[in-house]
Amino acid sequence: MPESILKLQDVAIFQAQNLILSNITFEVKPGEFVYIIGKTGSGKSSFMKTLYGDLPLKQGYGHVVDFNLKTLQEKDIPFLRRKLGIVFQDFKLLSDRNINNNLKFVLKATGWTDVVKMDAKIEEVLDKVGMKTKGFKFPHELSGGEQQRIAIARALLNDPELILADEPTGNLDPQTSVEVMKVLQEINESGRTIIMATHDYALILKYPHKTIKCDQGKMFEVIQKAV
Amino acid sequence: MSQYIERYQRRRLISSYFSVVLSIGLVLFLLGILGMLVLNTKKLADHFKEQITISIFLKDNAKPIEIDQLQKSLAMAEYTKSAVFVSKEDAAEQYSEDIGENFQEFLGYNPLKNSIDVNLNADFVAPEQIATIADEISGKTYVDEVSYDKPLIELLSDNVRKISLWILIASGVFTVIAVLLINSSIRLSIYSKRFIIKTMQMVGATKRFIRRPFVLTNIKLGLLGALLALVSLTVVLFYVNNNFPELNLFQDMALLVILFSAVLVLGVAISWISTYFATQRFLNLRTDDLYY
Repeated sequence: MPESILKLQDVAIFQAQNLILSNITFEVKPGEFVYIIGKTGSGKSSFMKTLYGDLPLKQGYGHVVDFNLKTLQEKDIPFLRRKLGIVFQDFKLLSDRNINNNLKFVLKATGWTDVVKMDAKIEEVLDKVGMKTKGFKFPHELSGGEQQRIAIARALLNDPELILADEPTGNLDPQTSVEVMKVLQEINESGRTIIMATHDYALILKYPHKTIKCDQGKMFEVIQKAV
Repeated sequence: MSQYIERYQRRRLISSYFSVVLSIGLVLFLLGILGMLVLNTKKLADHFKEQITISIFLKDNAKPIEIDQLQKSLAMAEYTKSAVFVSKEDAAEQYSEDIGENFQEFLGYNPLKNSIDVNLNADFVAPEQIATIADEISGKTYVDEVSYDKPLIELLSDNVRKISLWILIASGVFTVIAVLLINSSIRLSIYSKRFIIKTMQMVGATKRFIRRPFVLTNIKLGLLGALLALVSLTVVLFYVNNNFPELNLFQDMALLVILFSAVLVLGVAISWISTYFATQRFLNLRTDDLYY
C-alpha cells in the first residue's frame, strides 16, 4: 500500500479567527483524483489554501507531500509549493511577460539553470496541454481556456507529486471546461495525484472520482449515483 | 501583434519608470541645492558682512604722514580686509554725482572730510568687535569721527544666526521629506505589482528570489535619478558661479565631491531600502490581505 500524499486528522480550517471547517479527517493516496465540492462560501478555497500554506493550520494534524502543515515554517512554504502544482480559478499568470517567460520564471525560481533543459521542459509541458505554439503570446492574448491550459502546464513544470486545482473551470464555458478537464484527466492517468475543488456537477458526473463535500462546516465523502 | 504588444508594454513600463526616476531626481536635486546652501551659508554670510564699511573721517589738520601711518596700520591689522583712502575732493565729486548737483557751488566750500573706508574681515563683523575697533581708532587725535551703520550690523548678525539655524532645520526636514517621497513613489510602483508578487510566491519562488529583481531595478532607477539630480546641480552651480563669482563655489572641491557622493549614495540607499521593505510587506501578506 503506497504512503499517503495527503493525510489530515481532526483538522480545523480557519480564515483569520473564523472557524470554517472542522473535524476533517481523510487521506489521499498517490494517483488518486479527488473532487472537493460544496456551495460557494462552504470553505473549499480555504481548505485548498491551507494545503498550500497560504492559511496556517492551527488545529489538527496535516501532512502534505512530506511537509507537516502544523509545524510548517514560513521559510519552508516555497519548498512545499515546489512539490505541489497549483491551478487557480483566475489562472494567475504573470501578465507582464509572455508564456515562455512565465514558465521560465517558475523554472528559474525553483533552481533550474541550464537554458537548454529549461527550453526542453517548457516545450514538453506546453505540448502536454496542447499549447506548443503559443509560447510567444502574452497571457491577455489568450482565451480563458488557453490561459488555464498554460496554468496547468506551469503546474506540471516541476513534476509535482500533487496538483491542487481550485475551481479550475470556474471562469470557463462548459465546452472549454470539458477540454480543461480532459487535460487534467490525462495528467491523472499518467500517475499524478489531483485534488480539485469545483462546483461544476456536470463535470463530476462526466468524470466520476472520489468526491468530498464541504457542507455546514464539515467535510465528508459522498457517493455519486448514476443519473 | 505580439511584438506590438511587447513594444507597447515596454513603452508603458519605461514611462512608469520615468516618473519614478524623475521624482527621485527632483527630490535629490532640491536636497543637493539645500546641501549647497548649507555648505555656503557661511560663505554667503561672510560675503554680506564684508560689504559693510567703516568710514574713518580725518580732521582737516591731520598730517599726510599720520594718514599714511594709519592706513598702513589698518592694512596690517587682522580685522581689515581692505582700507582705501578717499580724499575730500574725491568724496565731494562722488557725492555730487550721487545727488546730481554741485553742492560746492551752492555752499561755496567743501564741507566733506578726508576719510579711510575700511572693509572688515567677516569674522570681525559683530556689534561688540566693531565697537572695540571703532573706539581704538577714535582715540587717535587726528581722527574726527568713526562712522558705521550700527543697526545694520546688529540686524545682519542677528539674521545670519537665524538663517543658519533655519537652513539647518530645513535641511533636516527636507531630508525626511525626500526619504518619504522617494519611499512612497517606490512603494506605489511595487504596490501595483502586489498580485504578481503573490503569484510568484504561489509557484514556489523564495522571497529573496522575488525581491532581487525589484531591488536591482529600483537601485538602477535610484542611480539614474541621482545622476539626473547631479547633472542639474552641476548646471545650477555653473550658472550661479558665473553670475556670482565672488561666492567661489568651486573653491572647495573636496566638499563638492562629498556633497555629490552623498546625493548619489542617498539616491541608491533610499531606493534600495524602500524597495526591500515595500516588497517584504507584500511578501509577508496572505493572499486575502492583498485586497485591503
